[in-house]
Amino acid sequence: MLLSAEKVTKRFAGFTAVAEADLTVEEGEIVGLIGPNGAGKSTFFNCVAGDLAPNAGRIRFAGIDVTHAPAESHARLGIGRTFQVPATFEDMTILDNVMVGAFLRHHSRAAARTKALQVLELTGLKDQAGLRAKSLGTPGRKRLEIARVLATEPRLMLLDEALAGLTPSEIQRAIALVRDIHKLGVTIVIVEHIMEVILTLAERVLVFNQGRVIASGKPQEVIDDPAVIEAYLGRGHARAARRE
Amino acid sequence: MRWGLLALTLAFLAYPLILTNPFYQDAGALVLLAAISASAWNIVGGYAGQISVGHAMFYGAGAYLPLLLYQHWHLPPLLGVPLAIAVSLGLALVVGFPTFRLQGHYFSMATLAVAELIRIVVSNWELLGAAIGLQGPAVSPNWWDLTFRSAVPYYYIFLAVLALLLAVTWYMEQSRLGYCLRAIRAGERAAKSLGVPVRRYKLYALMLSAAFTSLAGSLYAFKTGFVDPDSGLGILVSVQMIIVAALGGTGTLVGPLLGAVILVPLQTATNTWFGGGGAGLTFIVYGGIIVLIARFEPGGLMELWHRLTAPRTRRSPAPRHAA
Amino acid sequence: MILLQVIVGGLLLGAVYALLSSGLTLIWGMMNFINFAHGEFVMIGMYVAFVIVVALGVGPSIFGLAAAIGLFILGVAIYFALIRAVMRGPILAQILSTFGLALLLRYTAFWIFSPNFVTLPQSSLTGTINLGGILLNVAQLVAGVVAAALTLALHLLLTRTAVGSQLLAVAADRQAAMLMGIRPDRMQALAWGLSAASAGIAGALMAISYPFSPAVGETFALTAFVVVTLGGFGSVPGALLAGLLVGLIQALSAYYFGPVYKDVIVYGLFVALLWLRPQGLLGTA
Repeated sequence: MLLSAEKVTKRFAGFTAVAEADLTVEEGEIVGLIGPNGAGKSTFFNCVAGDLAPNAGRIRFAGIDVTHAPAESHARLGIGRTFQVPATFEDMTILDNVMVGAFLRHHSRAAARTKALQVLELTGLKDQAGLRAKSLGTPGRKRLEIARVLATEPRLMLLDEALAGLTPSEIQRAIALVRDIHKLGVTIVIVEHIMEVILTLAERVLVFNQGRVIASGKPQEVIDDPAVIEAYLGRGHARAARRE
Repeated sequence: MRWGLLALTLAFLAYPLILTNPFYQDAGALVLLAAISASAWNIVGGYAGQISVGHAMFYGAGAYLPLLLYQHWHLPPLLGVPLAIAVSLGLALVVGFPTFRLQGHYFSMATLAVAELIRIVVSNWELLGAAIGLQGPAVSPNWWDLTFRSAVPYYYIFLAVLALLLAVTWYMEQSRLGYCLRAIRAGERAAKSLGVPVRRYKLYALMLSAAFTSLAGSLYAFKTGFVDPDSGLGILVSVQMIIVAALGGTGTLVGPLLGAVILVPLQTATNTWFGGGGAGLTFIVYGGIIVLIARFEPGGLMELWHRLTAPRTRRSPAPRHAA
Repeated sequence: MILLQVIVGGLLLGAVYALLSSGLTLIWGMMNFINFAHGEFVMIGMYVAFVIVVALGVGPSIFGLAAAIGLFILGVAIYFALIRAVMRGPILAQILSTFGLALLLRYTAFWIFSPNFVTLPQSSLTGTINLGGILLNVAQLVAGVVAAALTLALHLLLTRTAVGSQLLAVAADRQAAMLMGIRPDRMQALAWGLSAASAGIAGALMAISYPFSPAVGETFALTAFVVVTLGGFGSVPGALLAGLLVGLIQALSAYYFGPVYKDVIVYGLFVALLWLRPQGLLGTA
């Protein structure tokens, strides 16, 4: 078991964003986290990524307790993450962006550069290596973020709505990229709104609603689950689904 | 490009030998001194993006300690230089360690508070000369007292120190530390997620910056032979470093030098034209320049140059490749 | 008895510090922005009072009002001319912008008025009053009470009025506030106006009792920094509590260690605060 989160709870000034959420991820899986807006999946995600410290519960990665470990140690241990709103280093070149990631495992500039160029090749950004990150559009920035994280050689990659805001053809390209990364042996946890992406990519899905995990299983099972339909569409539709 | 660099280096080397008027030689030395302290500030303020508005504390330490050793214990002022650097490193830790884990504003506020705190204490401490200040050797037969009648030896010493500082900065820029500092400046949260040890690297940058700023203060003390709370620890000392670096371009190697070359002669000129009132006007203008830079071109002249000369790139994505 | 006098005097001045700092903490909470020129707003309030009194010979209520209105306009103007634009840029620009503005305002004041300390001519608030054996300066008493009242008023404005809830909404979540039809831009400009006005009034109140020069801005800025850090990010009630505390500590320091070190102790406490409890008295870690 690569990642295990047990009974993770996160409160903000009286409001419970995440309540006793569990998640286990085996090495090599692609797991999806879905749920309506405000369901707590991003907060949970940020707890796992080390950005937020949970109020209760435990998170273990490769046997090591990382519940209260800072984000920096997460990366060193092999957890990488992208941001919902791309946080690329705007004024730095695309190559330099990825080199920052590469410097985690490679200490010399030459080695980091080589690694970065490899990653740019894999993610299709090599031709733009010398341009500044701010010259990219949103899809490019999202791709750059993925490349940057990939350069840190993660064992687990947490993708936070990496495909939101993309056109259908860009989505196809992004799905292909995620598959390529998966083939390299990286375990992936993806938070996503777009059903098509989850159905295509995820082997297993967890559904969040109001801070709790209300369903988990194979994508096809989960979307037929009345509890899930109720969470997204309300009780009426769930009743209708049950009648079918 | 390489020829330009060579020409520039030769120009700097030959300057005091060509312009032999003592006024110009002195001005040259002052330009270099300003470039040194601004380049030192640049390491933490430019590359790491942590805005210190109290760097005078390091400069003041560098100026006061050598003169203190001389005035009270008749020791060679040169011995005070490493002592001042040690003190500055200590101050850097006191200020940086608690604040570098918080939002950037805290660091800036803390630098202002500590610099002002030190200035008030020094202004009232007899040992350190209180409001009058300290004096160094007037004329000394010993070379290590660094008292020269002409500005020329100072010019070359400053040039050597500047060259050393720029070399160190360049080396840092190309290293893992340099890339990570730039990442910290560009986006701390993202940098953390990539494993950059943010707090530790900010401290490294601040300590390196503090050491060289202290050295600049020491050089100032050697040249003028005198320091008081205003010239060593006043807010205007900090302001001078910031504006020189910001005008030229923070986070660039030669930005601070460019800023110094432009601003110091300008300041000398306004002081001469306007006499005593010139100083007051100068700082109104400085304030205005800083506001304009912040508002319109935070990257300074280097960024402006880059923008004007960069090839036109379209914002649309590059040709598609199979992922 | 003297000690009690010192304590009360410190609390009264502390109330003025609270008013002075409440604007700073409001801006910080709303926009995550520290105004390095905030001390200069106080200083300008003092000089507005000075100019008006010298020119028109009016009393504190008039020049207090003048300071409030004048600074409000200045605050809004600065927001639209400078702040709104730099908020979109890098942090370097944000910090430098108000730092440069502070210099600009401070040295312009040096140029217009001299560097010498000035005092306001005698006003109606002279003399001392005896409250239960403690001798208090009328001007300082009025200043402290008015300042405390205004700080509370600001807090009530934020928490009990429609406008206030709009301001707080923008502070909490800009996007959500926009979706609710609130214009963040207007609210932020209003906040800047309020911030400057409260600083200006605090300045005018202090001008009645204390001599001042264009240089005092820096000291007030630092005092405000300590108060807002101690009181907690964005909290006006916190600023009130912290202001009183800082005033008290300063008065006691002056009493025990002499007037020279009163600021030094406050700044030193600031550093200690950053080491030990940066979230302040009321904040959560």
